[in-house]
Amino acid sequence: MGFASVSDYVAADEAGQVWVSSFRKTVASAATTTNAWTDYTYFAGSPVANFYASTPLAAALIEADKGIYTGGNVAPATKHLKNLLLMSAASAAASTANGRQEVALCDYLLYYPFIDTDAIGEEQVFDNTVTMPRYTGGKVVAVSQSAASTVGQFTFTYTNQDGVAGRVSQNNFTFAVAGGGQVVSASGAGASYNPFCYLQAGDTGVRSIESVTMSAAGGGLMCLVIVKPLLKSVVSQESRRTTSGNLESYGACTELASIIHQAGAPRVIDGAVLGLLASGYAGSLASSILAGALEIVWG
Amino acid sequence: MGWTSQDDLINQLTTNGKGDTVVTTKTLSSAGTAGAWTLLAGHAGYPPAATFTGTDLTYVPTDDTWSEGTIYTGGDVSPATKHFLSGGAACVAAAGAPWYIMAIDLVGFVPLSGTNVSTTGTKTVTMTALGSSGSKGDRYANGQGLRMFVAADTAMGANAPTCIVNYLDTGGGAGATTTFTSTASMGIGQLLNTGAAANKYNPFLPLAAGDTGVSDIVSLVWAGTAHASGACIIGLCKPLWMIPVPATGLYCKADFVNALPSMRKIPDGANIQFLLFQTGATTSGGTVNVDFDYGYGG
Repeated sequence: MGFASVSDYVAADEAGQVWVSSFRKTVASAATTTNAWTDYTYFAGSPVANFYASTPLAAALIEADKGIYTGGNVAPATKHLKNLLLMSAASAAASTANGRQEVALCDYLLYYPFIDTDAIGEEQVFDNTVTMPRYTGGKVVAVSQSAASTVGQFTFTYTNQDGVAGRVSQNNFTFAVAGGGQVVSASGAGASYNPFCYLQAGDTGVRSIESVTMSAAGGGLMCLVIVKPLLKSVVSQESRRTTSGNLESYGACTELASIIHQAGAPRVIDGAVLGLLASGYAGSLASSILAGALEIVWG
Repeated sequence: MGWTSQDDLINQLTTNGKGDTVVTTKTLSSAGTAGAWTLLAGHAGYPPAATFTGTDLTYVPTDDTWSEGTIYTGGDVSPATKHFLSGGAACVAAAGAPWYIMAIDLVGFVPLSGTNVSTTGTKTVTMTALGSSGSKGDRYANGQGLRMFVAADTAMGANAPTCIVNYLDTGGGAGATTTFTSTASMGIGQLLNTGAAANKYNPFLPLAAGDTGVSDIVSLVWAGTAHASGACIIGLCKPLWMIPVPATGLYCKADFVNALPSMRKIPDGANIQFLLFQTGATTSGGTVNVDFDYGYGG
């Protein structure tokens, strides 16, 4: 069960039914695309990097240690996100490129790795022996697993949130990226960047993906990941200090208290693998560091 | 009890003087480790640097009379209850930003040194389990809400063994933390279980599923290649609140009265200490300033 009142949150806290974890992820040195999305789980730090390295085209679960630790299983109680803090350290004293990030905290559910974006016209069929462990549907994120050289196009077939099989996504674009960990789904001829792939009209989620077909080569490898977005926030200003002239300090922390800032504290299901997607609107996120903390409470 | 209304709070503070402000400063004695947490108690400043004196492998309870350095918060006020009203923090260091400052109530610690650090195997701890007596040592009944960490007391030597801590939960049941991998050569105060690498847990050791606290520290088990030298503690604490510090020289203030839920209780006997998270390696000599206001009613 959740919480019936503010005092319930306090009581849970006093009873030790709370866990706080910090995390720190460093984006690789390969440039990311301004306005496009990046998968922080792919990069080094704490938790450790998640490269989606498993059998090609076979559905797989992301290991628990790749997600932010949230206090273990608590059933029959239910865990909820109480607070989230986010700050981003600039890659250099004069760099402002990592300011103005939009951030999505997600539960990473299932992924299909090593899709060849050069396999034009070939239906790459997925092995779905492993099934989605939580929820009945999620959003699909296309994450690069290598550099990609050009704009590709693809559709995928899937089972939707209601269990209806044979659904076919709208046409999705990929675009050129400099390395792995970058979200390559786009529309508008590959120049309008999306965090989530476009589904068949009317669908709100995906339970499993059966196959993917490239209609234009993207020149790389990608992974399709099903995630459940839990919360969106922003990082407003990069943290840095100048080293010449008038020394100046910059930085801001995003503090989100779910009890205040939105209706209800998002639930974190036992077994959840939490990670973050982000879009850098000020420039490349390369070599910047996202440092944050989240607090989980259970009733 | 606390306060019955905002007016009651204001009256108790301004008319009856039931509250005060605390300021503390610490200067880091060595460079920090990027992505790791540091217990500031062992660093110079106010309160003075603690050395965590005690008999090896024997639990040392601490409270607001701890001779090695604690922050005075007005003494006992029972049956009234004392609460945080606000907190502030700033860091000044050429490197390390951004930071997080976490206030904790350090309920006690277990010191380990000599061969208890430089050899592997099970190091059995002597500790009387926390109960519900209402004494200061039991200020969190049966260890409810308490968390553990392992911090360097002196600089650690080479090698990075794995480590697990066995404990009893709030009901007296046996539990074990998740195994973490230590880090070689961490400096004073740095938490061996934290960092930006595999098998690190920031800042506290994960408990067994469903456990909400720790009533008894049973043993610490080193495996692999032991640290070449050093001394460390197992810290037992209650996390209280956290403040972000985005850049050097910026002062950040948190209002605990109007945030929800807030006004964290300061139990009689609380030994308030601070943990520092550093995104980069904080410069040796970096200064950390923390302050907070507290009040009580009744």
